[in-house]
Amino acid sequence: MPYKVSNEKLTLREQAYLPEMIRGLGVTARHFLRNLFTRRDPAPEILDREGPCQITTVQYPEEKVEYPPGYRGLHRLVPREDGSPRCVACYMCATVCPAQCIYIEAGEYPADDPSAPNRVIERYPTKFVIDELRCIVCGFCVEACPKDAIRMDTGLHAVSSEERRAFMLEREALLRGPAVEHPSDPWRKREDSSAPEHGEKEAHRRISPRKNGG
Amino acid sequence: MPDDTKPRQPPEPQPRSVPPRPRVKLTIDDREVEVDAGTNLLEAARAIGVQIPHYCYHPRLSITASCRMCLVEASNSPKPVPACQMPATECLVVQTRSALVKEAQRATLEFLLLNHPVDCAVCDQAGECKLQDYYQEHDAQPSRLAGPKIQKEKRRVLGPLVTLDQERCILCTRCVRFMCEVAGEPQLGVFGRGSHEAIDTFPDKPLDSNYAGNTVDLCPVGALTNSDFRFTARAFFLTATPSVCTGCARGCSVWLDHFNGETYRYRPRENVAVNGPWMCDVGRLSYKPLVHDRALEVKIGRAGEGRTAEGREAARFAIEKLKPLAGSERLAFVASPTASVEDLLATFRLASEGLKLKRVFVSGRAADKGDRLLLREDRNPNRLGLDWVAQAFGLKVEPFERLVEEIDAERVKGVLAVGEDVPTDPKLVASLLLNLDPVIVLATNLGPVAGMGHVLLPSCPCSEDDGTFVNFEGHAQRFVAAYRTRGQSRPHWTWAATLLEELGVEVGWRSARDVFAELAPRVAQLAGFDWASAPGYLTHPRGLRTLPAAADARHGIHRERS
Repeated sequence: MPYKVSNEKLTLREQAYLPEMIRGLGVTARHFLRNLFTRRDPAPEILDREGPCQITTVQYPEEKVEYPPGYRGLHRLVPREDGSPRCVACYMCATVCPAQCIYIEAGEYPADDPSAPNRVIERYPTKFVIDELRCIVCGFCVEACPKDAIRMDTGLHAVSSEERRAFMLEREALLRGPAVEHPSDPWRKREDSSAPEHGEKEAHRRISPRKNGG
Repeated sequence: MPDDTKPRQPPEPQPRSVPPRPRVKLTIDDREVEVDAGTNLLEAARAIGVQIPHYCYHPRLSITASCRMCLVEASNSPKPVPACQMPATECLVVQTRSALVKEAQRATLEFLLLNHPVDCAVCDQAGECKLQDYYQEHDAQPSRLAGPKIQKEKRRVLGPLVTLDQERCILCTRCVRFMCEVAGEPQLGVFGRGSHEAIDTFPDKPLDSNYAGNTVDLCPVGALTNSDFRFTARAFFLTATPSVCTGCARGCSVWLDHFNGETYRYRPRENVAVNGPWMCDVGRLSYKPLVHDRALEVKIGRAGEGRTAEGREAARFAIEKLKPLAGSERLAFVASPTASVEDLLATFRLASEGLKLKRVFVSGRAADKGDRLLLREDRNPNRLGLDWVAQAFGLKVEPFERLVEEIDAERVKGVLAVGEDVPTDPKLVASLLLNLDPVIVLATNLGPVAGMGHVLLPSCPCSEDDGTFVNFEGHAQRFVAAYRTRGQSRPHWTWAATLLEELGVEVGWRSARDVFAELAPRVAQLAGFDWASAPGYLTHPRGLRTLPAAADARHGIHRERS
């Protein structure tokens, strides 16, 4: 939006230059002295600050700006209550990822795993690696996940390091944060992967396996 | 007593020729189509390109019409009829897209999905699942089930190769019918009643048939899964390349499913002349040497004391060692019938014209038990091809036992081996080779025999180069390179060309096609074989296809030809 330039004639005082310049230096000196001798409110949110000190600088990394909700921070693999990842290695995140930065290998929990969720959902990621250098932080992986197993709600920046290897986050580094469980999770409906008993007697259940011939 | 030597061919879908059936004309979706009387409406519609959704129907199995997905409106019935069971009759008018049919399909699918666990994230079938496909096409509405779903066993190990999830099953009974009708080993059945019905094996009788793997291919949903392939790769990542199974002399046509330069599984590819639409479990697992224990480095010196080298340097070293023995009976040329025709043509030229040898000793895998359907006792895919090529080059074919005898009698001093497979214990053969010098081995896989080579030239198997196998009946079949050669491995013919060049013979081969074009005219039996137009070649673009499966135009066959 263009604004109108004032072309009013300068007064004699302004034309003299020096008094106006001294006035301007006075403004600067007032700010300088006030910020120098008054204490700064440490609240990092600029709008929340109180007191005469007007410094707007955030003293990073001692102070950090709080990010708004929905900020896409560092990924995390969401754990279940028993500590195992919610992820079932379905590859949806790896498929949708435009930067192809997610690498997954799937494995199978044994049928007699001590943890009930693992008995019900046998598939899990033996390897889950995110290359944070490749990641473009688009959040598609979070959108694609059908199990609410990957989130970007840590509020953290990507890691910083001097070597590339440190940016390849493995499963152990990604599995963090509070556990999440939903009422619809399958392990809340059954104990393991076997067929639950039901009321009706079925014909084939009356046949008992014969162990020694005959 | 049935004739055990003759393979039992699966039933042909074509009508029997005598007596010829009368033709009938009918109308399907306002288009007239003429088919043999008795053809079912599903096949008649397919003839004019109208796809009718179906689960339980399979052209090679008996018809049960249990899934009700193929309901259509026919003019001779007041209610919708299953297209798979309804024979085509004269003047019949069929509607496959009317409002009534669409509602029937939607309602059928709603019932099939009523107790489905919708665990696509865990399911191996996701990406090639007919429930997913048809849901998008015909239903596409959320479940209206208010109560809990019926739970069944989710991980039932039926046998060595098959794992069953009873919850995902829609009870089409394709697997049950296959085991009864084709495999002839009725190991599966439907147990229980009503909503609690489930596929299962009989008590204490595992699903251990050699053809159990086909039930996984037949299963239109994710109920039956391959325990070997289970959870290793997503189906939508895989690219299918036409190939030939190397498990036995039958040479079943297969799809080689690969991703990122690695083979994940074989699936049968329909070929009426060779295997029908089936393959055996021995063949299904024969992809493993393509992936594991591969020889990927050129080595000079025996295992333990060897060093890696450049291919050209190793070839020069090999020729220096071989040259003094050229033309002598003391140099044995050993070829394996697991190599392709192109590889054998090139290496036989090296042996007969380069090194002036007169005999070839045939190695290869040892014979094992065959069966009456597909599996042959001879576990080598190209024995007949090797015989033909040897005949063309005038080399006398000698059995492997003869080589062992000659080495024992110290008549053989050096060995040039194409392929590392031996019909006896490899460690025994390695101990025989210990005293020989030179031993030059062109090997695809590491092992005791490959480790004995003074020069080890790593070769690539059928997944990484084009070529031809001739099965025991004389059917020449082409396979297509799926991905690039790994490491330093090269096709046998490339090593033969390099060795020939070191001998001073210039060859201008740039591909397996060139080898075939130059040398195959010598083989009389291959006169009528058109290399480029062989099955599977024209349907696929030439050269390597490196795009992932989701992005390329994958061939339409997943579980069946539709």
